[in-house]
Amino acid sequence: MIAPEFFYAAVIVMIGAFLALLRVFFGPSVPDRVVGVDTLNTLIVAGMVLLGAAYDRTIYIDIAIVYALLSYVGTLAIAKYLQGGLR
Amino acid sequence: MKSDMGLIVKTTARATIPLIGIFGAYVVSHGHLTPGGGFQGGATIAGAGILFLIAFGFGEMRKRYDHHIYSALEGLGGLVFLGMAMLGLGVAFFYNTLWHSGPFFDGQPGTLLSAGYLPIMNLAVGLKVFAGLISAMVAIAAYRRWKE
Repeated sequence: MIAPEFFYAAVIVMIGAFLALLRVFFGPSVPDRVVGVDTLNTLIVAGMVLLGAAYDRTIYIDIAIVYALLSYVGTLAIAKYLQGGLR
Repeated sequence: MKSDMGLIVKTTARATIPLIGIFGAYVVSHGHLTPGGGFQGGATIAGAGILFLIAFGFGEMRKRYDHHIYSALEGLGGLVFLGMAMLGLGVAFFYNTLWHSGPFFDGQPGTLLSAGYLPIMNLAVGLKVFAGLISAMVAIAAYRRWKE
């Protein structure tokens, strides 16, 4: 059973993700691109949850949780590198 | 050695590292029921180790990391996988004898204690991936310091 309203919400989230991707492409400085990627991570987590609801599969939420936890680690690694590296 | 991440990052890491570890253990132990399995869960737990390395710095990691223990754990993971594969050698290599006529791990399909040797193999692969990734990350982080 597929619920269409969750698909519409996922499409809206996808439009927002494309806008964040524009910032990643055209960002003049590196922190702009990092913030764009971080926004993209959050929107992808929202899209995963919405698609899990749309396909009516509870186990898809697990992947969203793992992605949310590991994208935090990735953003932190880039931030630490920009701050001066591992000392 | 001073770690240069702020107080907020350290406190968040103290709260997040057990969460990532427990969720990775869940992914490994439910590898035969839900998406994921040995490699994915092991990589998730290694993400907790990488978060520790980033948030608390290399000096704190070096105090808590022992190369011999992680090397032995990685070898143990591979040996457990091979031992489970050899368990049904009377019929064939990789014969799932725990599922067909085993004393345990032969429950109703869909429950946790089912699927024969698969949970044990998932645990072995998860242990091997976790130990290998942590060893690789610490070796890369220590690379420039090996000159002195």
